[in-house]
Amino acid sequence: MSFFLKRTIGAGNGVGRAILNSTKIPGVQRVATKSTEKTPVQETRPTVAKLDPLQKAQLVDFGKYVADCLPKYVQKVQLTAGNELEVLIPPDAVIPVLSFLKDHHSAQFANLVDIAGMDVPSRSNRFEIIYNILSLRYNARIRVKTYTDELTPVDSACDVFKAANWYEREIWDMYGVFFANHPDLRRILTDYGFEGHPFRKDFPLSGYVEVRYDDEQKRVVVEPLELAQEFRRFELSAPWEQFPNFRANPVTEEVVNPSEDQPKK
Amino acid sequence: MSARQAIKVGTKTVKPVLSSSHAEARNRVLSLYKAWYRQIPYIVKDYDIPKSEAQCREKLKELFIKNKHVTDIRVIDMLVIKGQMELKESVNIWKQKGHIMAYFKPTEEPKPKNFLSKFFSGNE
Repeated sequence: MSFFLKRTIGAGNGVGRAILNSTKIPGVQRVATKSTEKTPVQETRPTVAKLDPLQKAQLVDFGKYVADCLPKYVQKVQLTAGNELEVLIPPDAVIPVLSFLKDHHSAQFANLVDIAGMDVPSRSNRFEIIYNILSLRYNARIRVKTYTDELTPVDSACDVFKAANWYEREIWDMYGVFFANHPDLRRILTDYGFEGHPFRKDFPLSGYVEVRYDDEQKRVVVEPLELAQEFRRFELSAPWEQFPNFRANPVTEEVVNPSEDQPKK
Repeated sequence: MSARQAIKVGTKTVKPVLSSSHAEARNRVLSLYKAWYRQIPYIVKDYDIPKSEAQCREKLKELFIKNKHVTDIRVIDMLVIKGQMELKESVNIWKQKGHIMAYFKPTEEPKPKNFLSKFFSGNE
């Protein structure tokens, strides 16, 4: 605590401010689990999101509750960007976890906002499927993440959320992830006869084929396209620093991690 | 806490896409082939393509034979699913003439193989 006070006093001059900006604020990070401790510093920078410790504590509690209710399915619960709760589940658990979050009386996440995909070719399960769901009743959002590879089907969430239909079609079209038991899985964004899945990292920027109008055929023709392209290394971090204010802030905080919990003796 | 540890989170076994055995996958491929084969007269008529039914059958066979080296059941299933979707697109006339003709690649020049043709195309 005294360490922290010194930091705040030193914040008057420019050097102190630089330190304050670039280091994480321990009180805010810890407060969620210890509700008795008061927040020592109120975030004053206008461009930085103000974290609500009460909301965060509720999210942490809810994350623990979900992990306790679904021990078979929840692999990990984490908090990103301070107030975004994420539940990490295996691909078999999509239906039970989503229907729990939708139907449980103290959750009521009835709105599916979006389903996103993510491709990280270096992982053994290269695709991540991310469900963003919203509870209008409790004004809360939660994110459910699962993983898969090119050949493993994921259960379709259409039975739980009607809105999942087109989102899953989009994921199928863009990443080639197959959704089992989807009522109408077909392409949604690409043209008929399109080859490949454009959002995969190994999809060439120019695509595999080229479409042009042919004067002799009097028709649009499709031709294979070969452009020499350097081997791309997938460096996801940008060469410049985008958010220097957040240099020291931890991106994710674990709430529950059953796979690494040690049994108490 | 130990009870939770006892329950293994997530499984490592491979999940089948559709078929659980080679025979099943083979049946799916054959029925897809038959479905395409039966659809060919209608495709030729509906899309008014400058190809005969025999040529279309030959192309169909060629496209299936192209993947004959595939042995992984899940890959076969995925190819069948994609073939099924293409068939549906053709049957419902979501595709257009150009999309059907794209299978025949009328404008594509064969890759130069021997020295002279490479020389003519300016690759050598």
